[in-house]
Amino acid sequence: MKKRYEVSEELNRSGSFVRVLLVYLLVCVIGVFVMISAINLLIKEHDKSLTTQICGLVAEKMNNSIKYMTTSAENMSALFSAEDHADLEELYEELRDTQGGGYISMGFVDENGRIYATETELGEFDKWDLMDTAELASPVSISAPYRSGLTGQPVFTLFSDMEYGGGKQGKLFLTYPLKEVQNIAYTEILDDESEIWLMDAESDNIIQCAGSNKYAIGSWANALLTFSNKIDPEDQEAYKNWKKSMENHIRSDAVVYHIGDVSYTQVYSEIDFMHGWNVVVRIPSSSMSSTMENFRTIVLVFTVMLLTATMVMFWISHKRDVEDKMILENLSIHDPLTGAMNRRAFDIAVKKHFEKSLKPDSSLLFIDIDYFKTVNDKYGHDAGDTVLTEFTALLKELFGENALIARYGGDEFLVFIKETSRSKTEYLLSELKRRVHEIRPAALDNDDMFKVSCSCGAAQYPDDSRDIEELKSYADAALYEVKESGRDGFKWYDGSLK
Amino acid sequence: MNKIKAAALAAAVSVLLSACEHSVPQEEDTDEIEPAPPFSALGEIKEGRKNVYVIIKNLESTYWQVVVDGAKDAAVDFDCNVYYSGSHSEIDWESQARLVDEALAADADAVIFAPNDSVQLADKVEKVYDSDAKIVLVDTAANTDSYDVCYMTDNLMAGQKAAAEMLRQLRANGNGNDSSLKVGIQVGSIASQTINERLAGFLQHWVRYAPEGWEVISDIKSNEGDIEKGYGLTRELMNDYPDLKGVFGCNNGSTVALSKVILDEHRTDIAVVGFDYSDEMAQLIKSDEYAASSLVQRQYYMSYTGIETALRLIDGENSDVKFVDTGIVVVNRDNLDYPEVKDILSHN
Repeated sequence: MKKRYEVSEELNRSGSFVRVLLVYLLVCVIGVFVMISAINLLIKEHDKSLTTQICGLVAEKMNNSIKYMTTSAENMSALFSAEDHADLEELYEELRDTQGGGYISMGFVDENGRIYATETELGEFDKWDLMDTAELASPVSISAPYRSGLTGQPVFTLFSDMEYGGGKQGKLFLTYPLKEVQNIAYTEILDDESEIWLMDAESDNIIQCAGSNKYAIGSWANALLTFSNKIDPEDQEAYKNWKKSMENHIRSDAVVYHIGDVSYTQVYSEIDFMHGWNVVVRIPSSSMSSTMENFRTIVLVFTVMLLTATMVMFWISHKRDVEDKMILENLSIHDPLTGAMNRRAFDIAVKKHFEKSLKPDSSLLFIDIDYFKTVNDKYGHDAGDTVLTEFTALLKELFGENALIARYGGDEFLVFIKETSRSKTEYLLSELKRRVHEIRPAALDNDDMFKVSCSCGAAQYPDDSRDIEELKSYADAALYEVKESGRDGFKWYDGSLK
Repeated sequence: MNKIKAAALAAAVSVLLSACEHSVPQEEDTDEIEPAPPFSALGEIKEGRKNVYVIIKNLESTYWQVVVDGAKDAAVDFDCNVYYSGSHSEIDWESQARLVDEALAADADAVIFAPNDSVQLADKVEKVYDSDAKIVLVDTAANTDSYDVCYMTDNLMAGQKAAAEMLRQLRANGNGNDSSLKVGIQVGSIASQTINERLAGFLQHWVRYAPEGWEVISDIKSNEGDIEKGYGLTRELMNDYPDLKGVFGCNNGSTVALSKVILDEHRTDIAVVGFDYSDEMAQLIKSDEYAASSLVQRQYYMSYTGIETALRLIDGENSDVKFVDTGIVVVNRDNLDYPEVKDILSHN
């Protein structure tokens, strides 16, 4: 009985579903956060990898272009060396006005450091210490960019070793516009987003080759003001390590950092022959990640929709489950014919009532329909069912919501009236006795005077007993006495158990 | 309960979606700027002379008044008619575009032009270049090759000279090559190309020639054009770095801020190098106690020589250079009496 009682309680535990649902929701939210974090990490790695590749390509383009320039210079030097010119001044006069190969001017430096160039160029050699660069040629060297007086535009000068005059060491120099390199560095793919600089590892000086700020293109600036001092403090260490790699002449390295809300991936790659100079490419994550971010949004929306659908399904399933359980519960509690409680449900309900600390006076009634077997035999089972149904309806009408009514056996009913006195119960029983006669079995002939009646035994709590089983047995005993004395009546338990 | 669940779900979704939000840039408002006035004659106008139109950046600035002075003197010295105008603000490039059109409509023989926007005004520069008039840029270049000649300060070189002067002043102040010291830098607007180039030049020279223990403080502070803020930043620099032995101001405002605080605190141990000849800087330079130098631009010569060159170009001469660095003059206590320094200071 106890186990059945627990099963019945289980039916009422609808709150457990909500708790499970909330836990499920919490797990889902955590799961989605983990998923988004994982995707963000992937995006970051993707950005870094893709930017590294783009930078590598740009750097390769630049290095190839510079290599083309240096190879041209080396070939020219080799040619002049092979021709073994006795006098560089003569050679310069011969070649000074020749154009081609993208350079804007050319000239020579002899073994004594004498420069064969125009007056303006000589001024620039002096102004920009270009001889220091010339001395680094092995076999080629490239100067830092400077603004040319001839063109007004930024240029750089390339030096190449050569021989003349029977083994004397000289230099050939060619001056190229920086625009040549800028054009190569320029990429349409990320025109508005990417920034490309040439950067001197030692001084942090930069020259912008491409970027959204058109004013800055071709001009000098310094990384301290342009980006490095703006990097968020937590990313400064990563940036310092990146910079250290550059200073230590490691060929290439990448760093990801934040400036405010924007995350940037920045990569450098060393430029051959341009001592200490690197090409630096910076791209904000937003531009690289747009595809990935769209993917992330789609995944997120799809996941949220899936979870919502799952929860709706859960909810519908739960509602159906509850409804099924209610049907089952109803079946397990009520007599299917009359709708009165069955015996087991009645016992549980009464027990629950007796578990309460405050238990007001109440009555327990055992009621039998008199001669019910005769009804069934004489008028048929349908008529018997009608009597039972109408009798139950009468009980419910009389005793109302304040009573537990159960069909205890075939024609036997138990009624437990809460909060009632003997006199109230007696009044109700007299009403029952009067009105039960109104119940007529179906298809009764006019001359058939059959009347439905009932017998009732009653016991009062707590006067007769405080124990439910005892009360039941006392009411049963009282019923027995009513039956013995001719039925169609009621009787209180009088203290003697028969 | 259903409402609570719905709210919880909505909250969870909104929290998740917020992870994908992006910030939206704010638009900036600009104040109304008074349009540029019509051209005014600069000195006497005579029939039969060449007409030169000068367009400057800022009519309110003393720096640009010196440019106008150069043009005025050139009109007398080279016998030409000079008209001038300019905008009331250095962000007003639209007015300058209108002035270029007006100069061409007035059959200008030459336009001396300091563009407020080297990108937006590039087409106007090209328009003059393609006409019969000559175009000479002063102070600022434009993003085009289509101009006759440009006279301006090479700020990268100016920065290098500033670094060289700082090294000299530090040594003059008794700092040995094997000593350990720090040099602080203050800048105005970090968006200024001029300031960026000066800084680049300074650092380019510094890493090459400064002794190993002489360190530039990498945390370069910007006063954003606010002198009061510059005072605070200077005091902060002095407090944070007890071994501070030199300060470099990348523009006039920064130099004034640094000089004023050095004077107030009587920090004779700190060498000051900056730009332009402000009262504060003049006080430092003239005093025997301080080590200070200022780099003064030659803006007078930008317009003066610019007009001279324009007239030569009109007469059919060719210029073998496109870009002329008008240079800077380093002014310090040792050269205050030099004629060149006296001359440049007379135009400031």
